Amino acid sequence: MTGTLDVSFAALAPELVLTGAALVLLLVAITRGRPQLVLLPAGLATIGLGAWVVVGGDLVTGTVLAVLGAAGPALPVVLPGRPTLVQAWGAGLALAAALVLTVADLGTVLGGDGVPLTATPAFGGSLAVDGLQLFTRLTVFLTTLLVIPLGYGYLQERRINRAEVESLLLLAAVGMSVLGGANDLVTAFVALEVLSFALYVLAGLARRDRRSQEAGLKYFVTGAVASAVLLYGLALLYVATGTLAIPEIGAALTSVLVPRAVVVAGLVLVVVGVGFKVALVPFHFWTPDVYQGAPTNVTAFMAAATKAAAFALLLRLLLVAFPGLQAWWVPAVAVLAAATMLYGAFAALAQHDVKRILAYSSITHAGYAAIGVITLTRAGLSATLLYLVTYAVGTVAAFGVVIAVERRRRGEVTLATLRGLGRTSPLLAGILSLALLSLAGLPLTAGFIGKLEVFRAGVDAGFTWLVLVGVASSLVAAFFYLRIAGMMFLEEPTDVDGPLADRMPVLSTGLSSAVAVAGALVVVLGLQPQLLIELAGTAGVLLR
Amino acid sequence: MGPITLTVVTPLVGALLLALAPRSRDRDVRAVGLAVSLATFAASLWLLASFDRTQPDLQLVESFTWIPTIGARFAFAVDGVSLVLILLTTFLVPLVLVASWRSVDDRLVGYTAAFLVLEAAVIGVFATTDLLLFYILFEFTLVPMYLIIGIWGGAGRRAAAVKFFLYTLAGGLLMLVGLLYLQAQTGTFDYVAIRDAIVSGRFVLTDVQQAWLFAAFLVAFAVKVPLFPVHTWLPDAHTEAPTGGSVFLAGVLLKMGTFGLLRYAMPLFPDATTTFAPWLLGVSVVGVLYGAIVALMQADVKRLVAYSSVSHMGFVVLGTFALNDVATTAAVVQMVNHGLSTGALFLLIGFLYERRHTRMIADFGGLAKQVPVMAGLWLLVSLSSLALPGLNGFVGEFPILLGTFATSRPAAVLAAFGAVLAALYLLWAYQRMFHGPLETDANRTTTDLTRRELAVMAPLVVLIVAIGLYPGPLFDLVGPSVDRVLGEVAAAGGLR
Repeated sequence: MTGTLDVSFAALAPELVLTGAALVLLLVAITRGRPQLVLLPAGLATIGLGAWVVVGGDLVTGTVLAVLGAAGPALPVVLPGRPTLVQAWGAGLALAAALVLTVADLGTVLGGDGVPLTATPAFGGSLAVDGLQLFTRLTVFLTTLLVIPLGYGYLQERRINRAEVESLLLLAAVGMSVLGGANDLVTAFVALEVLSFALYVLAGLARRDRRSQEAGLKYFVTGAVASAVLLYGLALLYVATGTLAIPEIGAALTSVLVPRAVVVAGLVLVVVGVGFKVALVPFHFWTPDVYQGAPTNVTAFMAAATKAAAFALLLRLLLVAFPGLQAWWVPAVAVLAAATMLYGAFAALAQHDVKRILAYSSITHAGYAAIGVITLTRAGLSATLLYLVTYAVGTVAAFGVVIAVERRRRGEVTLATLRGLGRTSPLLAGILSLALLSLAGLPLTAGFIGKLEVFRAGVDAGFTWLVLVGVASSLVAAFFYLRIAGMMFLEEPTDVDGPLADRMPVLSTGLSSAVAVAGALVVVLGLQPQLLIELAGTAGVLLR
Repeated sequence: MGPITLTVVTPLVGALLLALAPRSRDRDVRAVGLAVSLATFAASLWLLASFDRTQPDLQLVESFTWIPTIGARFAFAVDGVSLVLILLTTFLVPLVLVASWRSVDDRLVGYTAAFLVLEAAVIGVFATTDLLLFYILFEFTLVPMYLIIGIWGGAGRRAAAVKFFLYTLAGGLLMLVGLLYLQAQTGTFDYVAIRDAIVSGRFVLTDVQQAWLFAAFLVAFAVKVPLFPVHTWLPDAHTEAPTGGSVFLAGVLLKMGTFGLLRYAMPLFPDATTTFAPWLLGVSVVGVLYGAIVALMQADVKRLVAYSSVSHMGFVVLGTFALNDVATTAAVVQMVNHGLSTGALFLLIGFLYERRHTRMIADFGGLAKQVPVMAGLWLLVSLSSLALPGLNGFVGEFPILLGTFATSRPAAVLAAFGAVLAALYLLWAYQRMFHGPLETDANRTTTDLTRRELAVMAPLVVLIVAIGLYPGPLFDLVGPSVDRVLGEVAAAGGLR
């Protein structure tokens, strides 16, 4: 680390784009009706920033910024005069730009003669530009990009499509992607709080809905406790090692001079704190209520993206800061993973609300992803990253279909609601079944590839017992996934709902395209996963 | 594109065609389904023609890269055993589709496409030499079969479909862990490479490793066969499945289990094979007798045939683990025979059910006077199933007993009682249904087989008689490959 502050904006380009877009969108919302007042100067400023970045040497980033800046003021002209739609498009474009930047970076990694991008620190070591960060960005941006069209019409119908929704989603995404690269304790904590605060608001978005209120409050209270616990843990680590930089903590912990008790206490608190965020049993209890109550698109976002980001933090802390303490945390996390897989699967059996079932299923999946963490191998790290992507696409597709059904019902979606959906709208039911099969890990879907890699890493590292626990929980999970699929295809629609039963679920362009893309990803990643496996493999090598 | 790929891809193309035109008229869907399945059969005949009978090892190798990082490939090759099972599959599918022409009209596109996809997956299971692809296809067959049972099945179809799915998934997942362990040890999913390394002694698994791995594979295959005591999904699945589903399940899907034992469990873990063999002989004998006794007590004729499957597949496993060329070769022949005769029985039961909407033996009686053709065929197929000399069942079952006698006398003697019981339950059921006074109105108005139904039965009957009278070619096709597998088990010092 050098004494001078190195400000490498290029390393943060996607986050800068998103933050800028979030702020612009907020400003647009404020000056509703006269967007040009904001867009014009903002566009000019972005062009200027882009020019500066180009001069600084990063051609791709700069060009993207400049193009965005130029396109910004033109937006209201091109797009219809519905402010929320403009917002959604704006957010979507910003995310697309961020995704392009990430893919370009990943392209450099895999590009040309196979010379891998070296893992470089930026901002004086506060930010790691490495495989873990790039891959987390990929997952988070992809998920967010899918979630925005997914929820647009839904929020509109529930009359909760407030101007701040897209900005909050973008800011949460920024927090998540920074978390993926956070290389010191303070950056990590701030990033975690950025994403958490945005999510607290989003979970409670439907203010007139008691469940949503409850979700917002519950998430806030448990989240705050988790943050406090985590912060305490981080503080203890700082006390024990005298540094905030995660790699230096890792180095310090190998020395005998460090006070063991303090460090172990710090480790425990950190694992508990992050355990809350990724919903490992027994720190999962907030998940079902929050997932059920939050607006469904927010739930999809939390389930898919938050999990990936929180896992990135867990991976970096455990693999970079705590390798010296493996003897302590490997068995502990292994037990947590086993408990998480089994508990989530069994608890889901008793549920009837589809969102709740998916909430418990998301708990189970945290357990699977954790298998890769404890293997302490690069293959395991890659497997966890891969698992999180495959889980994310399946989850987004599943919640997308739930949204479509919810819009028809204007109420909660229970198992009985889905009765005979295969008859009334076979395509939608087909995509939901596909997503569920993927979550169950059945062959020829994305989920199978994730599970295969995680299991492979587990068996390779000698955790066959844990893999067998995973097998057992897969079996239980298959039962409730199958129950949903069976409800749709094996049962006939009933007329309990009166004429509603025959009515098709409501699909808007945004919703159907997002669900279709997510469903297609489930199939494509299941049939041809080579590229993604390669990317994850490279990302695993690039840690540190 | 070689003959194997063509056989796998043809039904997939057909399914895709159907999926692209979901609103087609039923007539067209049926025509396309039949045409595609016949084309697949033709492709498999090309495969037969290209096959070199003198060569015992896997041949006609085709390989395409798939996931290089993991080392998984679309790798195919066939030996005599997989070839006859592929032929059995492609032979049965057109019959199954035509047999369903009247009974299935709900969501016909889905039904036809499900069968074609299932066919492709099963052919892939028999033809692949990549362990991962084998697992994937083995497990994937669950999805279309689940839908076939669950959507087009009888009253208890939902529970039966779920039971079928979970039982098989449980076994399959254990096998997945097993093969991941194997991959971790050997670094490859290439079956041929692993087998050769084991046979040549370049790669050695300890006895404990072998035992665990064998157990993991055994559970997957035993559920599929199904072997007593993990057979309990079968009666439900068979009874509730639509006729086509039952035929395919009995005819082909069960064979994936016995095929897996012979192809994977035995050559890869030869020491464990010989250690476990006596136990497996015991379990098979229990299955043979248990299946037969329970079949004897069934009131529903479809359930009766389902339990007879447990008994007959017990014979197949018995022959497989007798580990001598007479019994093991006959076991493979018996796989084909069971597929033909049980398939034919399920078809007849289905035809009768379409007329009467009942399968209770007590509801019938004296039908032979009313439906002589059906009665005659029923008797012929029953005789084939109970191994009457001159029909196909005999040429499989008799050498199984003969070979087993050389390995284990008690097993052979006890299993022979299973053959006696088979005569009892099949003929007794026939007698109660087709002989005696023709009493009820329903029985008096039952109509005989139509031309379409006869056309479905004819190829089966021809094969049943042909194999019974002239089994030589079938044995010649299977024999060298089975000898090779037994040689591999013996090479590892396993055989006494």
